[in-house]
Amino acid sequence: MSRFFATGSDSESESSSSADEITPKAPGATFTKQSLLLSDDEEDTKRVVRSAKDKRFEELTNLIKTIRNAMKIRDMSKCLEEFEQLCRAFLKSKTIVDKEGVPPFYIRLLADLEDYLNQLWEDKEGKKKMNKNNAKALSTLRQKIRKYNRDYETEITSYKEVRLFTTTQNGSSSDSDEVPGAKSFLKKKPAAEVAAPPPDASKFLKAAADKEASSSSDEDDEDWDSDTAESGSGSEDEEGKNASMAQIFLKKPGSEAERHTSEKKKEDRKKRHRRKERLEEEAEEEAQEEGEGEWEKVKGGVPLVKMFAKGTEINTTVVVKKLNEILQARGKKGTDRAAQIELLHALANISNENNLGEGILVKIKFNIIASLYDYNPNLAAFMKADMWKTCLDCIDELLDILFNNNNIFIGENIAEDSENLAITDSQPFRVRGCILTLVERMDEEFTKIMQNTDPHSQEYVDNLKDEGRVCGIIDRLLGYLETKGSTEEVCRVYLRRIMHTYYKFDYKAHRRALGLQGETKSEQDAEESEGEDSAFIMDRLCKFIYAKDRTDRIRTCAILCHIYHHALHSRWYQARDLMLMSHLQDNIQHADPPVQILYNRTMVQLGICAFRQGMIKDAHNALLDIQSSGRAKELLGQGLLMRNMQERNAEQEKIEKRRQVPFHMHINLELLECVYLVSAMLLEIPYMAAHEFDARRRMISKQFHHQLRVGERQPLLGPPESMREHVVAASKSMKMGDWRTCHSFIINEKMNSKVWDLFPETQCVCINTPLVQLSLTLNEMFELELPTVHSIISKMIINEELMASLDQPTQTVVMHRTEPTSLQNMALQLAEKLGGLVENNERIFDLKQGVYGGYFNRGYRLVIITRSQIPADW
Amino acid sequence: MATPTLDSPVKQIQIEGLVVLKMIKHYQEEGQGSEVVQGVLLGLVVEDRLEITNCFPFPQHTEDDADFDEVQYQMEMMRSLRHVNIDHLHVGWYQSTYYGSFVSRALLDSQFSYQHAIEESVVLIYDPIKTAQGSLSLKAYRLTPKLMEICKEKDFSAEGLKKAMIGFEHMFEEVPIVIKNSHLINVLMWELEEKCTVADKHELLNLSSSNHLEKSLQLLMDRVDDMSQDIVKYNTYSRNLSKQQQQKHQYIQRRQQENAQRQTRGETPLPEEDVSKMFKPPQPPPRMDTLLIAGQINNYCQNVKEFTSQNLGKLFMAEALQGHNS
Repeated sequence: MSRFFATGSDSESESSSSADEITPKAPGATFTKQSLLLSDDEEDTKRVVRSAKDKRFEELTNLIKTIRNAMKIRDMSKCLEEFEQLCRAFLKSKTIVDKEGVPPFYIRLLADLEDYLNQLWEDKEGKKKMNKNNAKALSTLRQKIRKYNRDYETEITSYKEVRLFTTTQNGSSSDSDEVPGAKSFLKKKPAAEVAAPPPDASKFLKAAADKEASSSSDEDDEDWDSDTAESGSGSEDEEGKNASMAQIFLKKPGSEAERHTSEKKKEDRKKRHRRKERLEEEAEEEAQEEGEGEWEKVKGGVPLVKMFAKGTEINTTVVVKKLNEILQARGKKGTDRAAQIELLHALANISNENNLGEGILVKIKFNIIASLYDYNPNLAAFMKADMWKTCLDCIDELLDILFNNNNIFIGENIAEDSENLAITDSQPFRVRGCILTLVERMDEEFTKIMQNTDPHSQEYVDNLKDEGRVCGIIDRLLGYLETKGSTEEVCRVYLRRIMHTYYKFDYKAHRRALGLQGETKSEQDAEESEGEDSAFIMDRLCKFIYAKDRTDRIRTCAILCHIYHHALHSRWYQARDLMLMSHLQDNIQHADPPVQILYNRTMVQLGICAFRQGMIKDAHNALLDIQSSGRAKELLGQGLLMRNMQERNAEQEKIEKRRQVPFHMHINLELLECVYLVSAMLLEIPYMAAHEFDARRRMISKQFHHQLRVGERQPLLGPPESMREHVVAASKSMKMGDWRTCHSFIINEKMNSKVWDLFPETQCVCINTPLVQLSLTLNEMFELELPTVHSIISKMIINEELMASLDQPTQTVVMHRTEPTSLQNMALQLAEKLGGLVENNERIFDLKQGVYGGYFNRGYRLVIITRSQIPADW
Repeated sequence: MATPTLDSPVKQIQIEGLVVLKMIKHYQEEGQGSEVVQGVLLGLVVEDRLEITNCFPFPQHTEDDADFDEVQYQMEMMRSLRHVNIDHLHVGWYQSTYYGSFVSRALLDSQFSYQHAIEESVVLIYDPIKTAQGSLSLKAYRLTPKLMEICKEKDFSAEGLKKAMIGFEHMFEEVPIVIKNSHLINVLMWELEEKCTVADKHELLNLSSSNHLEKSLQLLMDRVDDMSQDIVKYNTYSRNLSKQQQQKHQYIQRRQQENAQRQTRGETPLPEEDVSKMFKPPQPPPRMDTLLIAGQINNYCQNVKEFTSQNLGKLFMAEALQGHNS
């Protein structure tokens, strides 16, 4: 049977190469030959049309051949190389593949290669013996092929199924000496394939030289083809048998699958029909195609367990037994998980048909969902779209049932044997299972899907649309649990709800708040009736959790989300108060990483909120920690930083990847940095101006200074392009007291495009700076009202920031210069330094004396006059 | 800085006005900012008095003429001067200074080699900035015999300096200077003074700007920083040393104990001479630089003191005048 596969690929490659053989050398020797071979003449044009496909396929087959050879000699690096080439080649021939379908020989290679690699992987001894290059290549290739094969999963599984089936058949019934199993395949196939090329190659060589040889090789070729055709037909027969056998097995559940396959087959046929017209002359290949179509049909015929014996009366106990039987296979190695899900579905249908009641249905549904979750053995892998859809549907249905039937009790703590699934009038159903866990798991799966989708693709948007459904399910569950569940469960589900709410900006409420004055009363009412504010919901849910929750984690998360939500909606004071009251800052470093990420997100949002409210200092403080580390991206869980491999291994990386926040919840990093830099600028520049002469100027923000330095180092100053350049340019103009340019640097179209529509407060902070430096013609310079200027200056005088007095009649500020002169400054510095010197000197002395700190004990102490001690009019 | 009693062969220096003018001219032509100009002094010793009668500058040589032979140049110069019947004996060298910063290793080394070769040689330090403010600043220095000895032995360790009883104040000795002009020139001077108008003398009360003071402070601060560094270095050194001493001590004790045990058991004692090999004493930092820095700091302080006392005097004078007027 395996021969079928081997020859299948060969015939394909063969036929393509035989067709190909003419096209490449068409301009050369073949012309003469064609004049001789009349029959070939009209074919020629057709072949030219087909040549693109053939060329591609030949390229593929050649590559495959080399791969198989490399596999045989265990040359992994070669294998990897070739595989990469193959992938590229396959990509190149994409258009053809789209038209023709994935070539079976390609799938075959993928499947074989994966098996082979897995086998090698398992073989620890062999791996040890392998040299370093090969071992490395093996692991990379293994990963690659795994990823790659995911795209062709259905094809591969179908192929594998057929193979498995046939080999077992062979092993048990036929007397052929083939050993069943993948190994024999591996051995056989390359061998069969290697057999094919020699005539091929020689053909190429000879054909150019003499035509007779080529024609003979043509014959040769034809022989081969017919051969394969035979084998194909032979296999077809067997295939048919197999199919029928499988159908015997199938009976009930097969019906759907059969329909599916027959549909597919029909499609196949149609396709083939079209092709037939084109490829009339290749009847033998057609036969082979038939065979292919035939074995596709088997797909449905997975070795399912027989559902029920024909005559059995179907009642609850039987179904439960069956269910358990199916479930026992769960988690075992050889179990086909897809088939299991199918079985469960079928079982659900059966129980539905036989009116076994909701109890059993609920139970089955639970298990379906569970096995859906189980489908992916790997924690990192995510559900595929169709699985996800089924999962959502199932949960929805389950919830429907639960809502419709008040007499179903579900719970984790209901023991397996105390379940009550049968329909009795008196007793309510009791089913073991936890809907909350399922929904939570669903939510996690959703996050996983979002994490694994490219955020810039349409697919992501499509996936995001499911969010509504997820929220809906959570809402429904919430409703359900509010009536039935324990407080703990309610807390959990509330948290889920909060998690889906906190990062969304409530535009409706926002509009309402804005339009409160302008709009008419009736409109407001209409809007209000649409639904409650998210703020209100958050408040209610969070308060419940605060009151009722006993696990610390949920409460922490709820608080953080609540703060985030407040901050997002610019309710700065509430957010801040909540943050301060929670005392989370003290012990957040003991929390687990996801909570820490949430905390970071909250802090950042808080900072941005403060910025919006004009609390520059608070904004700066909130953002400082995140920004100064330079790892904002990582801290917010919005992406991994490129780091050395030794710092984390693949395992850690996987864990970290799982922690990432889905893209739609991201905080714009550029906005974040911009906010930070601007607030740093607004703080730093006045500070710099005020403390120009200080010996040791403290930097408020290192990062900002860094940006400034970078800006200064630029040899050529063009107009600012990036956000950072804008900020640097703005701070420069601010230093000069040029308020207007500063403002325009920060608020312009370029910056606007970067989410920058929240900035009313620059003015008043800005004015501080230049005031310290110069104090002329204030009103003109800053376009401020006289009273405002007056108040600002007064405030500064009171705060002793500005030594000046206002002269009312002339409307001027009289500055009293009290800054120490540079000489005085210098003297102070000198005094400080001398103090240090003396101290050092004393230390030497102490060392000699063997008494530490003796100097300070001896009673005289050098008094260093610090700046604060100097009277103002010194 | 000068010690009151001079125990060197030269007790007084007499400089020709010509030399002073030549030095000033040299600086004005070639020296800029903190750049330093140098030259050779020529003259002869009369009893305990060194008479400097002429000088010539060292040419400013840049990187590109590295192969310039200075000795050759000096010999040529002296021969030429001798041909025109000028004193041709080498009696020292002169150097300009920037805000009084001249106490350096380079100066020490060259003055040492001069004094080593020609016993009576001196170094003249000319301060152009102070001179520009109206008071000619010219100082002559010699190394003290103590310092000479140390330099000869090249022992700059703390112990060596301690043994020699040398502090920063005993490093250089200042030799008093007398400027002598020929009578003709003196007559000319008198005449010029007669012609001088009163207006120029008002300058006397002018408070010189604080720029000078600032510069001095800046330099002083730099030196203090250096000093601190040196001290810290020395501190670590001595700490390391004592730590090592302790280790050494412990080691020896252990070895002794072991040996005692071995002796009781009748075995041969272990050798003890590898101790010094095992514990290499840390390299002591040279103290000469510190000494020089201290000297320099002292110098700056003198400068500042001088400057401020003058200015204060002026201030008081002005106050008195004002009070008198009103």
